[in-house]
Amino acid sequence: MKTRVPRARALRRALTALGLLAIAAGPARAEDTVTLRGAYYREPSTRVIQPMVEVERDSPTGWDAKAHFLVDTITSASVSAGTSADNIFTETRNEAGLAVRKRWSRAELVGSYKYSAESDYWSHTMTLSGALRFWGDTARVAAAFGLSLDTQGTRFRTPECAKPPSHTCPLDTTFGGVSYTQILSPVWLAQVSAETAYLDGFQSNLYRLTAFGYERVPDKRLRNAVALRTAYYIPELDLALRLAYRYYFDLFPGQAVNYDGDPWRLQSHMVELRAYRPLTHDLTVRLMFRRYWQNWAANFWTTMIESAAGPVTSVPYYYTSDPKLTHVQTSYPEIELVWQAEALRPVPVLGWLSAGTFTISYGYYIQSQSISPGFGNAHVLQAGYTMPY
Amino acid sequence: MSSTRARTKRIAALAWAASGLLALVGGCAHRPPPVQPWQREHLAKRGMRLDMPDELLEDRFRQHWYGAREGSDLGYGEPGGGCGCN
Repeated sequence: MKTRVPRARALRRALTALGLLAIAAGPARAEDTVTLRGAYYREPSTRVIQPMVEVERDSPTGWDAKAHFLVDTITSASVSAGTSADNIFTETRNEAGLAVRKRWSRAELVGSYKYSAESDYWSHTMTLSGALRFWGDTARVAAAFGLSLDTQGTRFRTPECAKPPSHTCPLDTTFGGVSYTQILSPVWLAQVSAETAYLDGFQSNLYRLTAFGYERVPDKRLRNAVALRTAYYIPELDLALRLAYRYYFDLFPGQAVNYDGDPWRLQSHMVELRAYRPLTHDLTVRLMFRRYWQNWAANFWTTMIESAAGPVTSVPYYYTSDPKLTHVQTSYPEIELVWQAEALRPVPVLGWLSAGTFTISYGYYIQSQSISPGFGNAHVLQAGYTMPY
Repeated sequence: MSSTRARTKRIAALAWAASGLLALVGGCAHRPPPVQPWQREHLAKRGMRLDMPDELLEDRFRQHWYGAREGSDLGYGEPGGGCGCN
């Protein structure tokens, strides 16, 4: 673990240098933007504060670059975040990313890298994606392929999966996806997409305790999702509606160790509706509602409940007390205001912000899991400012 | 055995969906595009853009907490994670 610190520092420095290079390259264009955002998430036992900055630079040569940096500060005091007792702790996660894009008249190719680090978790993600527009620029096909190499470990104990002298456990994720977007009429477009991710490695929470000890979940998982999105504009009402649906299922590829059948088998449905309407020439409101349903995830969960209810005759091979692997339902209403700040132009000092756009949103996340204690409902506040430069 | 059959059915369903998509794309290639460039005024509006940059940033934050509170992931272009919040 100690050898990781200089490596992480070197990576961060390299990323910063690349980001600065990308920003310095080429003359500015109208598409160049700086975005500052802040997000706040609060539920009864967990609070997350996330400031972030993103810089995008588009070059007339067709080479564009985008870099971001964010900090997640998580304060938690319950099992929901993985502790077994009421220990209040604060964890900080730093994330930096860089994406480089090459544009042609009808196509583009994007390569990106993201590094994320906290005291017990490190992650490197590389993604390559491409898109092609055709049929009079009304259709677009896109594909993405990526690899994520994660490592986790803790100072407090050596996880079972760690092979001495290492104290850490790896998790490798390979993912891919395709999407097709079609403009169907001057007021209607639709998109269909499919994604899959293969996870191989340690997928438990290092701190979550169960009746049988620290949780143990299968080390392989194939996650799949298909999604449909459509947007429709009603000129008479100056109203845009957007509807999204996602179906998700996962499975254990092959035969699980010491387990008869598939220990994952999680399925979920998600529906989301967004409505956009201008209130004045520079102020727009967006209303959003998201609903999510998920089945009781896995047999290994049931096994644990049955064993816990009566005398334990044998310890199941997989066990967990993770609330998100139970039957889950969530609802999320949100309101957002988007303000083009042109009105600030004559205001002294603030006038230089007038070219940008402010956004602020508030949402209430209503959660229901099949075990107690669950996570509880959450307040979500986001605010941002994007300025061309 | 039954799980193998269910998996085979799932793969078959995906194959059918992919074939349908290809047929749709192939068929469309022989017809004029439904929308000309001068008819795209409404499609440029905020609510009609699926790739609005600041909305993508919001979605990235949402995906982070959805992934920590719900058992599923994906559907946003890149898996969540990069954190020990499982």
